[in-house]
Amino acid sequence: MPTHDTPRDTSGTRPSRDTPEARDEDRAHGGLPAYGRTREGVAAGSPGGAAAGGPGGSHRYTGPGGPGSTRGTPGSGGAAETGKAGGTGEAGEAAERDLRAVAARAAKDAARGLEQLTSGFGTAMMAGVVLLATAFTALACLVGVGLLFAPVVLRVLHALARRERDRLGRWGAEVIAPERPPTRLRLAVTDPTTRRELVWLVRHSTLGALLGLVAMLLMLFAVRDATFPLWWRLAPRDISSTSLGFGVAHSWADALSVALLAVGWIAIILGLVPGMARLQGEPGRRLLSAGPDADLSLRIAQLTATRAAALDAHATELRRIERSLHDGTQNRIVTVTVLLGAARRMVARDPAGAEELLERAQSAAEQALAELRTVARGILPPVLADRGLAGALDGLAASCPVPCRIDVDAPQRCAASVEATAYFVVAEALTNVAKHSGAHHAQVTVRTRDGRLWLRVTDDGHGGADEDGGSGLVGIRRRIAAHDGTLALASPRGGPTTLEVELPCGL
Amino acid sequence: MRIVIAEDDPLLREGLALLLRAESLDVVATAGTADDALKAIDEHAPDVAILDVRMPPTHTDEGIVAAVEARRRHPDLAVLVLSAYVEQTFATELLTGGVRGLGYLLKERVGRVEEFLDALRRVAEGGTAIDPEVVAQLFTRSREDSRLERLSPREREVLALMAEGLGNTAIAERLVVTDGAVHKHIRSIFAKLDLSPADQVDRRVAAVLRYLDDIRRRG
Repeated sequence: MPTHDTPRDTSGTRPSRDTPEARDEDRAHGGLPAYGRTREGVAAGSPGGAAAGGPGGSHRYTGPGGPGSTRGTPGSGGAAETGKAGGTGEAGEAAERDLRAVAARAAKDAARGLEQLTSGFGTAMMAGVVLLATAFTALACLVGVGLLFAPVVLRVLHALARRERDRLGRWGAEVIAPERPPTRLRLAVTDPTTRRELVWLVRHSTLGALLGLVAMLLMLFAVRDATFPLWWRLAPRDISSTSLGFGVAHSWADALSVALLAVGWIAIILGLVPGMARLQGEPGRRLLSAGPDADLSLRIAQLTATRAAALDAHATELRRIERSLHDGTQNRIVTVTVLLGAARRMVARDPAGAEELLERAQSAAEQALAELRTVARGILPPVLADRGLAGALDGLAASCPVPCRIDVDAPQRCAASVEATAYFVVAEALTNVAKHSGAHHAQVTVRTRDGRLWLRVTDDGHGGADEDGGSGLVGIRRRIAAHDGTLALASPRGGPTTLEVELPCGL
Repeated sequence: MRIVIAEDDPLLREGLALLLRAESLDVVATAGTADDALKAIDEHAPDVAILDVRMPPTHTDEGIVAAVEARRRHPDLAVLVLSAYVEQTFATELLTGGVRGLGYLLKERVGRVEEFLDALRRVAEGGTAIDPEVVAQLFTRSREDSRLERLSPREREVLALMAEGLGNTAIAERLVVTDGAVHKHIRSIFAKLDLSPADQVDRRVAAVLRYLDDIRRRG
């Protein structure tokens, strides 16, 4: 089912390590209809690339199969054990590096899980409210009044389900929505989608809320106990000193043992949280997605539209390349032949003039070479294909003499030509920052939302950037316009300079 | 010979002007856009306008449109169109209004200065200069035509040079034969293709091009 392969693309930038496992996982998540897919994922004990996958930090959404996903290992607990074994074993440098990598991954998984559980707790609370309202309306229907409220409650229910699909989509594989469910009571009673949404409502408002609560308490306990030695002397004596609720600390030794307890909490968080996050998302992934027998024509229409947009972006790019070859490079080479022809005619009667013409011909040939290089690089910077937009921008930041922070949060994939354009915008902007701004820091922010790529480059320099001054920006503006994007430059004297660009993703 | 040049690439524009001036031709104005070119033509009333096909703003066929418009305003103006690549539709569009004083050449031909100046003079004098590439394309597509197969290889060569717009003497020079031999070949070609012989070169070119274009369309 090739049409189902596309959704996984929207959940993250390209997988940066395309291991066979990652590919298998992708297939498990992308190749089957959502219903069976999720069930299989859970049955196989796969951490679902979705829930645990992807590194944390600023590039959170490296996507399913990203470096963070640890297939088969039950979250990070197993990973930590492997790490320990390596440490006590050979104690070599490689083992230590391994251990550090594993620990970092476990911490990232746990942080991601905590964030996901907390956000899930939010929707679970809402689900609780909606559940109460639904129950109340159902009761009121018995006496007739409820019939008035039913459409409103149904609409709220569908809106909440939509929100949960979006949320789950942000944390992993996209949850494909079924056809829009009815809001009229008579139709809703027999509607399978609505029924599944109600089952989810019950599960999420109970189990989901509980899991979220436990996660938040674990976090709270860990922080409380870890910091206990710092404040226990100031606390009133009758406050239980441990998070478990028994025992009171009387001495520094007691206080430090409470702090040791925090290590236990952290171990539990590292071990359990990724699994809990998956467990919390599971009912939503299973119940809110289109069933295997669902009519996917709407989805197909959507995919057709985005495919057309992608082809458009592709055609735009080809046109740009054709143009730069014909109007740029070819003209340079024609100039070379014209000058050579003129020089040949002149060589007998005016050798000095011919020499001058040859000189000009040579520099025109050199320009042609330079342009050819630019065109070739402009088609697709090799680094972009290798490491994706986030990785490529990291590379730019690393080579920028001005310290630069890169913050990429782009769960949605964009057409390669659009990503290339974004890359060139940042490259040009950072070059300008380094050359002209006198800035101490620069910041690059990239986001995708509603099918558009949004990026901003700011610096703390002295401003006064002029678009006409640097020819680089003119080319960039043309390139953005070709993609139907917008560019805004704000650079008052005294700074700061802000460059904002918006581009349609073309996918 | 008074010349107006329209070419959007500044380096190439200057290169062209330099080349022509070095040959003591009178470049009266240069332009970077089709609009400027039309203005310059109105103002200077040159003998020849050299126009690039792709110019701002859309970089598609501004030069062709400008050429047609300039000929409408000044029927006696000779126009030489330079193109980055051969586009059959451009050639057809350009040649429908007659081939007198018209040229359509690939840009790189300019480098062969003697041949380019030759073509430029021909066009300025009311003749025709069609790029060999255009003629070659017409020939490729006309290969299935049985009447063309009746021509000897030498006769095909002569036909191609005729289509480019060369006169008898020029053809004789290219093929290193006598004028008389060329004359004989041409008579034979016209007989084999059932074309009525025409003495004037431009009418001859038109007939040959029309013939080739016809069989292309039928194919």
